Amino acid sequence: MVVVQRRELTFWERMYLPEIVRGLVITFKKMFEPRVTRQYPEQAMPTTAVTRGQPRLTVKDDGNIACVSCGLCEAACPAYAITIDGKETDRFIEREPERFDIDMLRCILCGFCEEACPKEAIFMSNELELANTTREGLVYDMEQLKRSTSTLQPRIDYVRKINDRW
Amino acid sequence: MPFLILLIKASLIYGGLLVTAAVMTLAERKISARIQLRIGPNRVGPGGVLQPLADGVKFILKEEITPDGANKGIFRLAPIMAAVPAMLTVAVIPFAGETVIFGLDFGLLSLTDLDIGLLFVLAFSGLSVYGVILGGWASNSKYSLLGGLRASAQMVSYELSLIMTALTVVALSGSMDLREIVEVQNTGNPLAWNCFTPVVGQVGLVLFVIATFAETNRHPFDFAECEPELVGGFHTEYSSMKFALFFLGEYCAMTVMACLTTVLFLGGYSVPFWEDAPWMVELATFMAKTSFFLFLFIWVRWTLPRFRYDQLMNLGWKVFLPIALANLLLAGAFISLT
Repeated sequence: MVVVQRRELTFWERMYLPEIVRGLVITFKKMFEPRVTRQYPEQAMPTTAVTRGQPRLTVKDDGNIACVSCGLCEAACPAYAITIDGKETDRFIEREPERFDIDMLRCILCGFCEEACPKEAIFMSNELELANTTREGLVYDMEQLKRSTSTLQPRIDYVRKINDRW
Repeated sequence: MPFLILLIKASLIYGGLLVTAAVMTLAERKISARIQLRIGPNRVGPGGVLQPLADGVKFILKEEITPDGANKGIFRLAPIMAAVPAMLTVAVIPFAGETVIFGLDFGLLSLTDLDIGLLFVLAFSGLSVYGVILGGWASNSKYSLLGGLRASAQMVSYELSLIMTALTVVALSGSMDLREIVEVQNTGNPLAWNCFTPVVGQVGLVLFVIATFAETNRHPFDFAECEPELVGGFHTEYSSMKFALFFLGEYCAMTVMACLTTVLFLGGYSVPFWEDAPWMVELATFMAKTSFFLFLFIWVRWTLPRFRYDQLMNLGWKVFLPIALANLLLAGAFISLT
């Protein structure tokens, strides 16, 4: 059996009012301390390269999409959020996506697509906000998913660093 | 013409009371935010100053729900019973002395100066508990009923000490007319204020302030609501404007009680070292003193946790009442000595 030893209250503490005044003084001082609230929509949460936000497709510097529509990310996706239709292209890589949809309502931001991709074409960006008035509006098509390499660069560097460990 | 002047005075004073109540809801949220290192409402209007308006609109637009099995008549009557007495009491509070606005003589700035002003205030603030009890009972809900019962028991135990403490002031100033009480203290010397009467005044002030907390159902004595145990207490089943009326009643009662504390213990509108101050200065002084007590209401709420119910009863009957009685006795001794 555990006997909890409680401290005997001193006479001053049992008078109660002085202790109340002490508490009041503490809360009064608190009123002049800097506030900790982050005003979210105006002051967004700071993100780092490690932030695993929504997946985005990289657009290379020559303006072409890096994706070759191999379908690995589609197969890796545990939530079946990705739909890819491929087509042939005159470019050296021979294939590119005709349609690349990610249903953001299905996406669980696991990052498997990023790991599966052999062409560094899909990365988890630092974009976290997701809101719309319709479900259809949250199925992002290729145009909505395209991001330039430079915006995704911190994440690309991070993923390369992680992959270099193996 | 006297009727017109009375009408203007009434609308000014009641308008002022309602505005104060509205501002208090904002102040409550702002100050609580500051104490908890938050920012508080800041979206409606600059710095959130229009928040009470937005709240009011929201209250009006909300659906009114009357629970099954509720006693409909009493259910509707209860919010009125809670709000009206609290608003009525402001009629006898003296806000300033002789008032002249734009050459128009308004007389003494209070709606009426009753000979038994203090009794009037105490009687009507005692009535406001009926709103709580009836609301709790008519809701046909166990939580509401418990809240109402607690409120009634609490009111009885604290009203006694409240009245005893008010009696000390009556004994000191020899009048029940609130303006008379102020005038006795209004000598230009702040030491004439009742709170500076040796021992009697200080004990009285502390007791009175604590009793007003209990009287207005404020933290740390808000057992009628008591969210963790009773959901929302007596107003669990209330929604929309009916709930808003309870809310309004609570804040009006707070305002009036702060005014009363000022009148009884801090010399009402008497300006320190300036006996015949113009009415505007007197009114400003009165408002400054009252706002301190209003701030205290909020300040204490966000500092102290709620008492346990039996602790409250112990405090009321075994501590406050004896001290209040002893204080009254002491006041008698003090008067006969001076």
